[in-house]
Amino acid sequence: MKKLIALLAALLLALSCVGGALAEDDITLDVIICQYGPNTQEWFLGKGMNGTNFVEKFEAENPGVKLNLEVVSWNDVYTVVSTRISNNNAPDILNIDVFADYAAEGLLEPVSDYCPEELYGDFFPQFIAQSVLDDTVWAVPDLASARALYYNVDLLTEAGVEKVPETWAELEDACQAIVDFYGGDVYPWGVDMTTDEGQAAFAYYVWGNNGGFVDEEDNWTVNSDANVEAVNYAIGLVNKGYTNPNPATQTRYDLQDMFAAGKLAMLIAPNQLPTIIANSGNEINFATADIPHNEGASSGSVGVMDRVMAFKDTTLNEEETAKRNEAIGKFLTFFYKPENYVGWVSMEDFLPAVNSAVAALVEANPAFEAWLNVLANAKFYPTAKPEWNSVKQGVINVEQNALTGGDVKTLLDELQATLTK
Amino acid sequence: MDTILVRRKWEPYLWLLPSLILMTVFVVFPILIVFKLSFSEISRAGTVGGFVGLNNFKAAVQDKAFGTVMKNTAVWVVSVVGISTLLGFIIAMALNSEFRGRKIARSIVVFPWATSLVIQASAWNYIIKYEYGNLNNVLLNLGILKNAVNWRASYQIEFAWECGVGIFVTIPFVTFCVLAGLQSIDAAYYEAATVDGAGFWKKLRHVTLPLVRPSLTVSTVLNIIYVFNSFPIVYTITKGAPANKTDTMVTLLYMRAFYDQQKGPATAMSVIGFVILCIVAGVYMIMSMRGEEDL
Repeated sequence: MKKLIALLAALLLALSCVGGALAEDDITLDVIICQYGPNTQEWFLGKGMNGTNFVEKFEAENPGVKLNLEVVSWNDVYTVVSTRISNNNAPDILNIDVFADYAAEGLLEPVSDYCPEELYGDFFPQFIAQSVLDDTVWAVPDLASARALYYNVDLLTEAGVEKVPETWAELEDACQAIVDFYGGDVYPWGVDMTTDEGQAAFAYYVWGNNGGFVDEEDNWTVNSDANVEAVNYAIGLVNKGYTNPNPATQTRYDLQDMFAAGKLAMLIAPNQLPTIIANSGNEINFATADIPHNEGASSGSVGVMDRVMAFKDTTLNEEETAKRNEAIGKFLTFFYKPENYVGWVSMEDFLPAVNSAVAALVEANPAFEAWLNVLANAKFYPTAKPEWNSVKQGVINVEQNALTGGDVKTLLDELQATLTK
Repeated sequence: MDTILVRRKWEPYLWLLPSLILMTVFVVFPILIVFKLSFSEISRAGTVGGFVGLNNFKAAVQDKAFGTVMKNTAVWVVSVVGISTLLGFIIAMALNSEFRGRKIARSIVVFPWATSLVIQASAWNYIIKYEYGNLNNVLLNLGILKNAVNWRASYQIEFAWECGVGIFVTIPFVTFCVLAGLQSIDAAYYEAATVDGAGFWKKLRHVTLPLVRPSLTVSTVLNIIYVFNSFPIVYTITKGAPANKTDTMVTLLYMRAFYDQQKGPATAMSVIGFVILCIVAGVYMIMSMRGEEDL
């Protein structure tokens, strides 16, 4: 018995030495990356980076830093992150769209604590500004996309629409012309008011009517007169039969498929749509234009941006935190290196978030330049406000209630009341 | 002698121990955690705070969608369990009779059960699609329709489709439970009833139904639980849209927890659902057992 105890003690001692040695030399970063498309998993963990992958390449170039990287689908990522936070097991690095809830609850490290200065200076300043809460930057942008109006040139021409609609009135005229010519065979206008992306529909119309989610002082104004008018206009398009028949359940992906199949004449979609159409095997004659707006208001694209952020690890002491932050800095530096980042952004057809990638991307695809200009004038959701998530779901709820006959003003007033109480 | 007695006394518990440990770890423990969470403050990011009394329950009950969703859940459970039990029973009776190709028919009935619910729901989603749906294509090609029909013209119709898919995937389970019960009935009972001059309906009422009742009780109680907790069908077809009007309790609490970041009220809803299920399943079991005792 004594021999057994002695053996166990020796084993434990040996193991603790090994553990100590590991802790001293290596640091492992827990990383969650969102799945942007079919190539994400391959690029990070498979063979999608010229026969190797991000993790292998990173670990080879950064000895002492290991990555425990997981690619999670967008459908699951909120559930995964929230469960991990509840279990005090937040990842070290997270790639997601929102950050304000985490920052407001003191769960994030400020970017200045881990992001090397040279890299920080490389980010587009208007993107960095989207991740500021209480004068602190809490996340860095990883990529972006911008939205524009896509229209099927042939369908519009055949229906006698000579001018691409710029205003809401012109849009209605074009829709009516398409209905008159094609009957129910072609939907004139695509609307997605689903739980997937109904907030985008809200943004397209309220921003096209000089309304918005917030006022100049950054206070919520979801029930402004301009917003009420804009949502009523959008619901009116549905009720007049100008749109796809089920906007509450037909997602943007459904609309994109319809557009690629020549079943939908116009829709607002991101810069990836040309690739989607090319991959669909359909050949349609399409072009892009500014998103239509109300008479007297201005058009603006909707920009969508995702982020990378680092969670605090309260179990570490000061020295360990410094070491961990240095490792996070190495991760970011490696990720945004043009030789890696350009491949990442162009692989899934996104727009870049750093200046150093622009030249290479434009050289590879000249169409990028026009989209970068669109992005420069794009408006972004107010994701830096902790209530954003409630507002996002709230406006979708308003749209869906309005689709079943609810009064837009009453619904928006109710939503506003929940934000100001 | 004593050792054998002691061993006999403890042996059953020893055999049960692995199941008990598994149930404790994977069933009892999570239930207790959910109960604890339902009385705790949970932030939007997911951090668990202190005790908040009944606040989460108040918020859950005061949720604007709660009334609609309770009504939907009742319609969903009653229609899916009720209709699938009736149809499953009829199919089981048919499959219990002798006919050529019975084995093939039994295999076909099991298909919907053997396929994942998400795949089933996605397949139905495509079938009833307006633009490229198989249903419209088939009916148009057969000349039954002249123009495509929007099979999802309103949320009431969409919810009816969801119930229909629920019934379709639940029938096999009922069928096989009842079939097992039917096969265990001794043919002598039917022979005796025939001698006494009983026809089909009398045999059904006085022989088949009483003897199949234990199987029906098992399938109904399990179905109430499965159907109440069923998530994939509603989530895949409508995600509760528009504005929670096609949500059931389980899909609503998921949306509240992971879309709206209202995890406290969501856990309270899951506790409310658990209690409702315990009561409904308990009452049904007690009533059925009383019925059996009366036999």
